[in-house]
Amino acid sequence: MSNISDTPASLGVDRQTFLKPVRQALGRISGQAVPAPPAVDPQLVRLASASEDVVSLFAQRAGEVGMTVCRIKSDELIRTVSELLEKVGAKRVAASVGSLPQAVSLNDSLRRKGVEVVDWRATPGFAEQYGLDAGITDVHAALAETGTLICSSDAGHSRGLSLVPPVHVAIVRQSDILPDMVDYWARLRGIPGRELPSSQAFITGPSKTADIEGILITGVHGPGQVFIVVVEGV
Amino acid sequence: MSSTPSESTTSGHDTGKPVGLSVNGHDLLFPPLPYDIHARADKATADKQLLDFVHVATYRKDVTRRQVTSAAFGEKHGDFRELGAAIKQHTLDHLDHYIEKFVDNATAAGVRVHFAQDAAQANAICLDIARRAGAKLCVKSKSMVTEETQLLPQLEAIGVETVETDLGEFILQLDHDAPSHIVTPMIHKNRQSVARAFERELGAPYTEDPQELTQIARAHLREKYRKADLGISGGNFLVAETGSVVICTNEGNGRFCTSAPRVHVAFVGIEKLVPTFEHLGVMLKLLARTSTGQPLTVYTHVMTGPRRAHEHGGPDEMHVILLDNGRTEILKPETREMLRCIRCGACLNACPVYRKVGGHSYGAVYSGPIGALITPMFRGLANYPDLPNASSLCGACYEACPVKINIPKYLIQLRAEMVSKRITKWSDRLVYRMWARSLGRSWTYRLGGWAQKLFFRWQARVAGTLELGDPYRSRGWLNDLPGPAGGWTSQRDMPTPPAKSFRQWWDEQNRP
Ligand code: SF4
Repeated sequence: MSNISDTPASLGVDRQTFLKPVRQALGRISGQAVPAPPAVDPQLVRLASASEDVVSLFAQRAGEVGMTVCRIKSDELIRTVSELLEKVGAKRVAASVGSLPQAVSLNDSLRRKGVEVVDWRATPGFAEQYGLDAGITDVHAALAETGTLICSSDAGHSRGLSLVPPVHVAIVRQSDILPDMVDYWARLRGIPGRELPSSQAFITGPSKTADIEGILITGVHGPGQVFIVVVEGV
Repeated sequence: MSSTPSESTTSGHDTGKPVGLSVNGHDLLFPPLPYDIHARADKATADKQLLDFVHVATYRKDVTRRQVTSAAFGEKHGDFRELGAAIKQHTLDHLDHYIEKFVDNATAAGVRVHFAQDAAQANAICLDIARRAGAKLCVKSKSMVTEETQLLPQLEAIGVETVETDLGEFILQLDHDAPSHIVTPMIHKNRQSVARAFERELGAPYTEDPQELTQIARAHLREKYRKADLGISGGNFLVAETGSVVICTNEGNGRFCTSAPRVHVAFVGIEKLVPTFEHLGVMLKLLARTSTGQPLTVYTHVMTGPRRAHEHGGPDEMHVILLDNGRTEILKPETREMLRCIRCGACLNACPVYRKVGGHSYGAVYSGPIGALITPMFRGLANYPDLPNASSLCGACYEACPVKINIPKYLIQLRAEMVSKRITKWSDRLVYRMWARSLGRSWTYRLGGWAQKLFFRWQARVAGTLELGDPYRSRGWLNDLPGPAGGWTSQRDMPTPPAKSFRQWWDEQNRP
């Protein structure tokens, strides 16, 4: 948010000039009342509900879009993550898992295993992250219906860890899983835009393309492998 | 259509346009006007490989769409589409209100919003931002709007190297080609042409393995993300209530372009607004399933303002350029519905004409049924007289459309306008007028039917195919009609009427 306000007037037109032809086409005048927008009936729009086994649904759907899911108990977390990293041969990683009680001990035990845990905050932007083998993150929410991870930016979360390294390990607590996107919007209701995170990424699968002859390839720009560790009971 | 690139390269130079990496496919989307569809459509229909590619790919996508939407929505699918249509229609009906709301909320979140009435203004605003930022390298994710404003050559003209990062668009840019589908831009290209382009332009070893080709592109573009100081994106949706910009991508390049560089500029048409996140949710549920059969696109990125003071990563400046560029013309009540389009591409995949002629035949940024509709609206009906006719009016597009745009109805509306404005050729108008006259009176209709029967049966007798026997059933077959009718018989035989007509049979049955 640097010096945008110092820049002189835009080269386009001002707001009212821009809106004039819009109002003309609509036959409306400035400030004219607007009826309520169409109601979003949750009965219709909801495609998964809390009455289902949302953890299993999430695991199934996330698997269908190409992410690898395992379900563990809380005390297995550190071992599971280090085994995953070993399996993909990750030597340099960075983590932002502030929401988990194991955050500190995870970093320590990875270091003990000889994995370099990089502090991604050391330099601005993604600079530190291009050389990583894996990014480890918690999530702000997960959606069962579509098998989606929601990773938002804030003081403890870079936009990059779920994007830049070739492997993303996402740690999802059972309580993070919402049945449907409808439930996530309900959580945000009433929060003004300026108080939202600047970036909310809904992640549904590894980075994919089918541009060359319609053949599905993963890992185009983002991670080619996404591992989800679902921690049950928390 | 593998020969198109070199051809378009030449024409790009010939017309004396600024030559940058990205302008050579220019004439494919911006042909000389008025545009005549026939040359390209004939070439496309004669191109076996193109036919295979486009036909197979679109057919598969169409089948996937049906399966996935019915599995996800089941009985509710109709109501879902109704709701999607109603949300977009409501927003368009009160667009001034929602634009104001969006601008207020985005501004409060730290976005600088700009207003561009046409392409020239939009590009000027962007060039100004680039200059101020001292930009040298720009990474760009897919945006139909910047195709529309022809931004890239202008950025390159002021010395900003601009790289398309969507894999398909990147390949098209390297190969001096142009997108031919709004969702899968290089649907018309094969892997060999990608391999050749990478070998020639990037010095990469020749390989036809899509996995290896993708890795070559990944490595190349990573370097660009590292160095880029400007990122340009489009926008799939704007959320009025929060001032958010939403982009839907699968590769992750959209997230890079909007997060890695210091400055982010989003080009967005004013029709992209939705009122709230709840409404956005409905559109997202429809978009990916209809477009590619995914539950959601891999990355749905909701951006609300630039990097906050306490955040690491993300742009310091975020700009949104709101573009009119002819949209307020379409916003009139008679045509407003067309602006509901969320560019899912389903109508292209469903269209029997698109499948045969491919995207470049439409000679414009937007192809397929929706392109046939909005291109004449954007760029003048007289400039694109063939497009409203490039449809069989079968209605597959209407049935596929997640926001229920009645494309056939509007195509007919455009055809009527072409006749009333005398854009339709005089010979065509004459034929149809004569036809209307002869169908309008009983005796002329009978006379016409009788003359046609005599002529066809005579032709069949000459050809030796006339069957004799039951006067109501036996017919003949013609396989080589003269003149323009030859087009019909080149594909199948034409049956002649039997010796006695239905009317004669009716009269005999009802004789007292
Ligand atoms: S007209 Fe309908 S089907 Fe066609 S691209 Fe737009 S939203 Fe999709």
